[in-house]
Amino acid sequence: MAVQPAEIAAGTVPVELTAPAAGGGRLLRSGGLALSLALLVVIFGACFIWPLVGSVPRPTGGSVLNANLSIGAPGHLLGTDPVGNDELSRLLYGGRASLEVALAVNALGIVLGGLLGALAAYVGGVLDAVIMRFLDMLIAFPSLVLALAIAEGLGPGEVHTIWALAFFSVPAFARVARAETLKVRERPFVAAAQLAGSRRWRILGAHIAPNILPQLITFAFLGMGITVVLEGALSFLGLGIPAPAPSWGNMIAQGQSVLSAQPRFVLLPSAALCLAVIAFNMLGDALRARWAG
Amino acid sequence: MSALLTVRELRIDFLAAARVVRAVDGLSYELQAGRTLAVVGESGSGKTVSARAVMGLLPSSARVSGSIRFEDTELVGLPEERWRRYRGAGIAMVFQDPARSLNPTLRIGPQITEVIRLHERLPRAEAAQRAIELMEMVRLPAARERFQQYPHQLSGGMRQRVMIAIALAGRPRLLIADEATTALDVTTQAQIMELLRDLQRELGMAMIMISHDLGLAAGFSDEVLVMYAGRGVERASTQTLFSRLRMPYTRALLEAIPRLENPPHARLAAVPGQPPDLAAGFRGCPFAARCPRAQGDCWENTPELIEHEPGHRWACWHPLGLEGSAEPELLAGRGQRA
Amino acid sequence: MSSLGAQIHVGPLERARDRLARLGGPPALRFAGRRLLTAIPVLWGVTLLTFIAMNSLPGDAAQELLGANATPAEVHQLELKLGLDKPFIDRYWHWFTGILHGSFGHSLASGQSVIGILGADLPITLELIAYSLVVSLVLAIPLALVCARWPNRVADKLSLGVSMVGLSIANYVLALILVYLFAVKLNVLPAIGWTPPGQSVGGNLKSLTLPALSIGLPLFCFYTRLLRADLLEHMQSEEYVVTARAKGAGPWRVLIRHALRNSVFGLITIVALNLGALLGATVIIEDIFGLPGMGHELLSAINTRDVPVVEGAVLIFAVMVVAANFLADLLYSLLDPRIRYGGSAG
Repeated sequence: MAVQPAEIAAGTVPVELTAPAAGGGRLLRSGGLALSLALLVVIFGACFIWPLVGSVPRPTGGSVLNANLSIGAPGHLLGTDPVGNDELSRLLYGGRASLEVALAVNALGIVLGGLLGALAAYVGGVLDAVIMRFLDMLIAFPSLVLALAIAEGLGPGEVHTIWALAFFSVPAFARVARAETLKVRERPFVAAAQLAGSRRWRILGAHIAPNILPQLITFAFLGMGITVVLEGALSFLGLGIPAPAPSWGNMIAQGQSVLSAQPRFVLLPSAALCLAVIAFNMLGDALRARWAG
Repeated sequence: MSALLTVRELRIDFLAAARVVRAVDGLSYELQAGRTLAVVGESGSGKTVSARAVMGLLPSSARVSGSIRFEDTELVGLPEERWRRYRGAGIAMVFQDPARSLNPTLRIGPQITEVIRLHERLPRAEAAQRAIELMEMVRLPAARERFQQYPHQLSGGMRQRVMIAIALAGRPRLLIADEATTALDVTTQAQIMELLRDLQRELGMAMIMISHDLGLAAGFSDEVLVMYAGRGVERASTQTLFSRLRMPYTRALLEAIPRLENPPHARLAAVPGQPPDLAAGFRGCPFAARCPRAQGDCWENTPELIEHEPGHRWACWHPLGLEGSAEPELLAGRGQRA
Repeated sequence: MSSLGAQIHVGPLERARDRLARLGGPPALRFAGRRLLTAIPVLWGVTLLTFIAMNSLPGDAAQELLGANATPAEVHQLELKLGLDKPFIDRYWHWFTGILHGSFGHSLASGQSVIGILGADLPITLELIAYSLVVSLVLAIPLALVCARWPNRVADKLSLGVSMVGLSIANYVLALILVYLFAVKLNVLPAIGWTPPGQSVGGNLKSLTLPALSIGLPLFCFYTRLLRADLLEHMQSEEYVVTARAKGAGPWRVLIRHALRNSVFGLITIVALNLGALLGATVIIEDIFGLPGMGHELLSAINTRDVPVVEGAVLIFAVMVVAANFLADLLYSLLDPRIRYGGSAG
């Protein structure tokens, strides 16, 4: 069925990134799934595991004597930054910070947002109307603006950034959860469970949750891409994760001042950021195609 | 006199995810100008697919072989640009669902004049005039107002009349009505069928009437072709077919029609079982699994459509004897014609 | 809906209700108007939320203005002067009633009227938004048509791959890359600054080109994919497409006159829904390119905790989002004949 605007507005049609396969698309799609998974494994492995097991120097506290070493310098695979920190290490630790924020924000989204949305849809009535009005309000508004205000109010720091961004991921997940729950609610096995006398929470947990989870997870992958970008924006603007602790966002901001002379300080974290987002988008896309069709 | 449309050994396969589905398997028939052929069968019998093949409207996953000759031109394998000259002008089609077959964002008038202007160089005003005449011809009340309206402002019956007007706009020699009345209520169905019959007489068109409704077929056609599992299994003039039933399948279809004089809560005599899986291929007669008369050789050898009696072809090893005969009221509609 | 052509008996209650509904105006306007009404509580809620965020958290404008070296006494004195010592409810009420009278208050930092400040900034942001929308939509439609015309062939697969990368690039990253390419290396476009149209129309457009591309290009990728998917969905599953082909229409005619006409609705809705993100983007992009627009103003006001300016800017942003959605609803209801000419058969 063609995408109806009402469905888009209701959040039942998540962002369409690919078309339904016209025959030959299936091969590409399963290739996309494999590729994006591989990419994510590499990225997460590099950012979370490598620093723990490999001999990666610390990302901070470098000596100015080591400043601006070029790529391939001994002991510094990607060179050093203007204050002497190892660039590769900054990339990896920065990635870890950005990804941690994204994971936390989206996990909160699935849990809190999912619960809120599912509850609203299942219970219906006044509770549903009130919750959705409130969430609509948050979603309608440019999130970056309010996130800025909140982050400014809270101050910089990884945890504060998570709170600021969760403020917007929770409503978005709630809307998806609500739309999906509305669909699942009408299915026969839910009616059967109700007739059998199951209590509301049991139905929510045992019947509704497993059936909306795939959509929420797909949304979460797309949300990871969005969150990583938003965190980058916050850090870029001086909020978010504060220097000297690296995050891809604040690395790009710091690189901006030497953009013309040494573009690599912008290009390297940018490439990492883009690669991560591409991987998340491709994965979310592939999952949706797989689970929707 | 050569026929308007001649179909020979038409085979249509669909390639779907490493399976090949044979939707039509060796279909052959002819249709003379001005005559009506009813093609009847269950869903999945291949009747719609074969009709779309005549229009060249099959999806790209379809593989067509055999011959479809229309007015001495071979249509199978025809390049797309030449196909377009026939669609809407030589051969036209009326579809099943009037609710969805019209573009909801265009007014009625332009949807009719579109056909005219695709095939003839008529200025807009004249094309509009012709469209309004067509709308009057299909007995659409208040044609001038309807011209400016949108599809959602018309009822189902009216929309189907518009579809007929669209089909006639190019002055086709062959009209294919694909379950054209299935989505309508009974009274409207009758009106539309009578309209089609009258128009056909007036314009001298040949018509292919696709339906699962044998009663409709009996009332409005000259010849009947029964299809099952992609094959033609019986073909004869309507009179012959219903007065001398030979195919067990055809009789089963007839018996499945509910009758007014049956006692209340009488069981509907549905044909038991399912049509065969067209991807799996089958051996012997495709109807054998559901046929009450099936015997040993029915499972081994596939019967061919052969003219066993003059003007009456059937594909069966154990046809009904002379005892099978159609109910009188099915032929009542034909009585009016004669 | 009577398929028999007979008259349906409409009772007096139905007639009265119908007449009452018609008082509201043509169906299109009523539809859009209903949506507008629900937006008002949203606007109010947003401003309240912002006020809470700005005010109930540690630190305030007086401290920011005077800097770290100010003595507590100096800070306190400034607080009194700016009215920051009053309770939260009072301050919000004061601001809210001011809004209803058309006054947005004055900047805590500079003392200028907020309307004056934002009024000067708004046209720049609006021009940036318009330019970005043009970039994102103008090429998206033809490209989506080409992809839908020859789906899964080389051009289509290529554009799918490129657009996947394109929409994954953060706009601030793209901004810096574009600056590096076009300003630093090629030196054809300015990296920073805004030229008023009064001074030079060409210069004005040039100063906004890189910013508009930064925002517009990722969106262009997104919209192309979306429209392509919608077009293909229509081409493959809608009955009226088959009817069009049965008339003898060629592929372009079917695509444009039939599929595209029906696909625009989805596009309009998505563009409107995305407007919030578009506005948010102006904040960071104006900062990178040094454009004196509302986003830039908002950022510095947040940094200095200049609450009236922040509130004013937030309210204007919110109004823009609501207005854009309203316009989209209006456009949608005007274009879709089912809404515009509501009413059924008979």
